[in-house]
Parts: sequence; C-alpha cells; structure tokens
Amino acid sequence: MQDFSVHNEAKSRAIIHLDMDCFYAAIEVRDRPSLRGKPVGVGGARDRRGVLTTCNYEARKFGVRSAMPTFMALQRCPDLIVLPTRFDVYRREAAVIREMLHRFTSLVEPLSLDEAYLDVSEHPGAPAPLAQVIRGMIFRKTKLTSSAGIGPNKLIAKIASEMNKPNGQLEVTPEQVPEFMEKLPVRKIWGIGEKTERKLEELGVKTCGELQRFSRPELVDLFGKFGIELYDLCRGIDQRPVEPDRPRKSLSTEETFTIDLTTLEQCEEKLEELFQEMMADLAQKEATRSVTKIFVKLKFNDFTRTTAERAGLTPNLPDFRGLLAEAFARTGKPVRLIGVGVRFAEDSPADAQMPLL
Amino acid sequence: MKFSVTKEKLLEGLQQVQNVVSTRTTLPILSNVLLQANGNEVHLTTTDLDVGVRGSFEAQVEKEGATTLPARRLFTIVRELPSSEIQVDVDGKNAASIRSGQSFFKILGLPEEEFPPLPKFENAKVVTIRQKDLRDGLRKTSYAISTDETRYVLNGVLFSFKENKLTLVATDGRRLAMVDLELEFPRSHEADIIVPTKAVTELQRLLTDDGELKVSVGSGQIAFDLNKTLLVSKLIEGNYPNYRQVIPGETKERVTLERETFLNSLRRVSLLASDKSNSIKLSFSKNNIEISANTPEVGEAKESLPVVYKGREFSIAFNPEFLMAPLRNLTEDEVFLDLIDEMSPGVLKIQTPFLYVLMPMRISS
Repeated sequence: MQDFSVHNEAKSRAIIHLDMDCFYAAIEVRDRPSLRGKPVGVGGARDRRGVLTTCNYEARKFGVRSAMPTFMALQRCPDLIVLPTRFDVYRREAAVIREMLHRFTSLVEPLSLDEAYLDVSEHPGAPAPLAQVIRGMIFRKTKLTSSAGIGPNKLIAKIASEMNKPNGQLEVTPEQVPEFMEKLPVRKIWGIGEKTERKLEELGVKTCGELQRFSRPELVDLFGKFGIELYDLCRGIDQRPVEPDRPRKSLSTEETFTIDLTTLEQCEEKLEELFQEMMADLAQKEATRSVTKIFVKLKFNDFTRTTAERAGLTPNLPDFRGLLAEAFARTGKPVRLIGVGVRFAEDSPADAQMPLL
Repeated sequence: MKFSVTKEKLLEGLQQVQNVVSTRTTLPILSNVLLQANGNEVHLTTTDLDVGVRGSFEAQVEKEGATTLPARRLFTIVRELPSSEIQVDVDGKNAASIRSGQSFFKILGLPEEEFPPLPKFENAKVVTIRQKDLRDGLRKTSYAISTDETRYVLNGVLFSFKENKLTLVATDGRRLAMVDLELEFPRSHEADIIVPTKAVTELQRLLTDDGELKVSVGSGQIAFDLNKTLLVSKLIEGNYPNYRQVIPGETKERVTLERETFLNSLRRVSLLASDKSNSIKLSFSKNNIEISANTPEVGEAKESLPVVYKGREFSIAFNPEFLMAPLRNLTEDEVFLDLIDEMSPGVLKIQTPFLYVLMPMRISS
C-alpha cells in the first residue's frame, strides 16, 4: 500500500528505464524463426573489419559482446550467424514502441532506438506494475522482450534495468537506494570509464559505498568538475529531468577503412567524400540549426583516437582539411577511421517555431 | 549472355536505376544491378528491398541470359570507356568482360538467382495519371516531407485517392503542402496511402513532361509504370494525421505578392536572421510589408515591399527557410498570402488547387 504523506513529503519521482533485449538481434530472430536458439549477431562482415552492433544471449554465452570486431566474435563462437543490419526495420519497430510509450506519459526521452527513460511520477498507481504492463504490451505487439529498471531518478533506473536482464525488471524504491548504492561497483555509474575506474582502484575504491567516504572538495581535487557530480551520483542522487525529444547535439559521418591510410594525402581524399556526405545529411536533417563547432575524428590502427575541433567556423572543406592535418600530425600512426562532423548551438526556447500538428 | 551497345544507351540505362543502390549496404547482392538480355533489349533492375527500379536499353543481343554486376563500379567504368561501342560478354561464372576500343575490363558478378525479385502486382488497383501533373504536384509538395524518423508516417507523401481527385500532402508538423489533381477512377479505387521519401525522390527523377503513367496500388506496396521504366516501393504503414484540421477555415487578411520579388527580398533579409532563433519578421502596414531580421551583436536587415494592403497593422514571424521553400518550388508569377493573426497559421495559395500552411514562430520581445 502506498503511503501518501511519505510519497508527497519526499517529492520523489518515479522513473522507468526501458531497454529492449538485444533489440536488433531479437528482431532478426523473430523475423527468421529458423534462427531461434542459435547464436546470432548483427553487424558488419568479417572481411570488411565489421563490428557487431548487437548479439543475442545465445552468442553472449560464448563471450561475444556488442561492439566487438566480427572476426574476434567468430573466433570465440565459430557458429555465430552474422547478419547485416536493417536499420530501416529497426527504426520502424522503434517508432511503434515509442508510440506505445507515449500513451503512458508525454515525458519519454529516447536514448537510442532501443532504450528510453519515462517519467511516470504523475501516472496514477505504482510504477513497477506499470512497467510490467508496458513491457507486456510491447511484447504482445512486437513479440520482442524488454527489461526495465524503476527508480527515483535516471541513474538508479538505468542501473536497475541491467540487473534482471533479459525480460525482467527491478524496482529500487527511494528507501532502498542507500543499500543499493553501498555495494554497487563504481563502474556502473555513468561517466566512470576505464581510466577513472583504475584511478579509483589505486585509491582502494571499488564500490560506491567506499567512494562515499570522500568529501566533495576531495573528489573535485581528484576528478575536476566531474567530482562535484560524482559526490551525488555515488549516493544515488541524480536530479536530471527526463527530457522528451532531446535535440541532437552533433551530427557526423564516419567511415572505417578496409586498408589503413598511411599518408595525409590519402586521408584528405577520403575527407572530401565524407565532408560532402555530412553536408548533405546536415542540409536534410538539421538545416535550421546553427553550427558552433566543427570537428575531425581519427581512429588509429592501435584503436587509439584523437579529435581536433574548432569553434566559430561554418562547415567548409579547407577548415576541415586544417583540422585533419592537425589531428594526423599528433601521432602519424596509420589511420583506421575518419569522422567529420559539426556540433550545434542549443536552441533558444524564446523564439520558438510553433507546431502545426 | 553477350550484347553490344552504345556507350550513351548503356549510361542512360544505368543512370535510371543506379540511385536506388545504397552505398553502404551490407547485403552484397543489393549493390548489384540485375541485367537480363533478351530480344533486342537488356533490362536493368536494382533494389534496396524497399524501393526497386526496372529499366531497359536497346542492344544487339548475341546471346540471351542474365547476371548481376556491381552497379556503381559498372557505371564508373562505362563512363570512362574510350569508344562509343561497347561489348559485354558474361561467362557461366558471372564474370563480365567489357571491351571498348583498346580497353578491356573484367568484373565479377553474382548469380541472377540471388537477386531479390521485385514484388508482383496481382489484383492491384490501377489509376492512370498524366506524368506532367504528378511531376508538378510532387514538386509543389515533396519539400515539406518530414525527416524526423520518430514520426515515420510523415516520412513520405500522402496520396489520397478520393472522389475523382488525387490529393498529395506532405508535412513535417510545422508546415504542410497540399495539391489536388483531377483524376478519374472508380469508387472502388479510393485509398489513402503513404509513399516513402526515397520512392518520391526517385519518381521525381524519372517523371517527364510527356505521356502518362500507370499507378498500381497493391497491399502494402505501389508501382509506378512509366512505360519504359517501372518503380516499385513499399508503402509506409500507419495512419496519416488528419491534415484537414490544420487548414484554417477563415482568412482575415490577404495580400497578393509577386513570387520572385517576395522570394528575393526574403533571401536577402534572411542573411541577417539570427542563427539562434532563425526567424524573419513580416510587419504589415497600409500598402506595405516590412521584412526584417536581426542577430544580436551582428546586425540587422530590413526591406520594404509595396503591396495592396488595407487591413490592420500587425507583425508575424516565420522561419525564413520554411517561407522560401514553396516560393522556390512554385512557378506561378503571383502568390496569395492569407493571414489571421500573429499566432495562427499563414496560408500560401495560387490560382490552381494548391496550398501551403505554415505555423508562425513565437517572437520573444
């Protein structure tokens, strides 16, 4: 039973993080029943340096992971069936699911095609049964399973959704948050990558509970600006609102090459193609947005990467060339991938385009 | 398979179908064009599984047969060939030998059987349209198609066949373009279907100003038969929003504008539209419109346009891109702009059945 006064006093929110289970792979298996029970991955082919976008749980048993190069995945699981991506199909499916989510709340923030946050604070009834209903509806309509995390904020909801995957859910109530965070590995917090994790390990910190021993100034000393947030995050505090339809922050086009590029001239040739493609994309998708920065990203044959970017420029080829030369000169290593892109100014809400329908 | 053809005919044939081939497909066969030689013709087919095109060119066929070859590669080779006479000879292993003048190319293809067949249209509803009418109608509407993938039903043009009219509608939720075409068809052929952007783009490339085309609507798919070429496409599933409800029923003020003069003024003034708000202001006073834009810390632009106007004085702001798009795609000398007030949609019209509804922008100051 829900205690109204407690609920009201804490002004707690109810956030659901909904995550489709190996979305792309699940769609492929659903559409080709003969694949059921077999290890399936979706992504690029082995001979073209493809990378797996997703794989199903049968494949994960062999140690195959998403974002793993296809050749590596096939070494671990020789029977792995690698299928090409069909993004048009995934997008269509995602749109169907998104439409269903909007029936429960207008506060839906899609993170990608296969996950979204829902703010269901205003929805009557408890959030966990609601998540169950939503997942059931998605399954009936699409025959795809999903997992959900339910918590008082985005951080908790997102972490919780991973806990009972696949086809499961976990609710962490506000009262359970301290206990939940105590034993949670620091790695689970967004913003903590390998580097930060290593740094923390050197300090003898593995769990969020251990991280809580540090004061805010100490964390700022150690991690700079991120320390301010980290102090709250390791306590399970996260005030970020669920923002529906977040506008795109950047737009880019990139290509991984079959053969590494070793000279700046080779890179420049590719840069021009990518530039044209990106400009076409920009004109089609974000013609009305204003560009604040342009950037060139390089990934080298040892998988290290570097990004050269400059503010205050409108996108044009000579400036991209300059950035490419700058990024290339940083290492001189053979180039595996080039990306070119732009970052956008945040739209001011004041002079807004009104919707027609 | 073996045939001889002129460079011009082969290039033209390939140009008609090659756009459908996606550059980064993961299914190798979809990068290929299907070639089928019989009689004195070679048929070309490409598809990305959503949209497919089939065309043909005349050739001297010495040996009939079929194969598939990488479309882009074939096109770039043919474009560069030195002589106007080309011989293509494909062996049993789908390796094509291409000879022209002193040049010789061998490119490897894939078997015909791997190529996904274009869908069949049995029991389809067929309607005949003049190519010029459809070309004109799509030109007047297609720029308003939404590119927002989360609103997938708007990622195409609505073809609404009703009461001996074909209504074409495109919208991105902020503006809407609509055209009516007079057409005769039986009651049983009435239907609302959404043709996806890629098919619309391809169709616009293929349509000419002469002759007719046959449109066949099957379940979930459509075919456009332009005599020499055939375009087939999947339809977007879903219900198009009720667009009629956004068309204002009343008009308070109407101004008649010279299309090009208006467009040129907008283009000039929009140079100083702030990147941030990206709005342009139209201020109406007696027999005058002042078009203005400004960007803080950069500058401002103003231009006066004499018009016949006797209504009340008021200002309304629009996204300049959205206001210029229809003006660029219309050909009429004169357009009418109907307005109600600064918060209601404006409507652009011409003498023939066309309208463009555009929601204004809120001005902060």
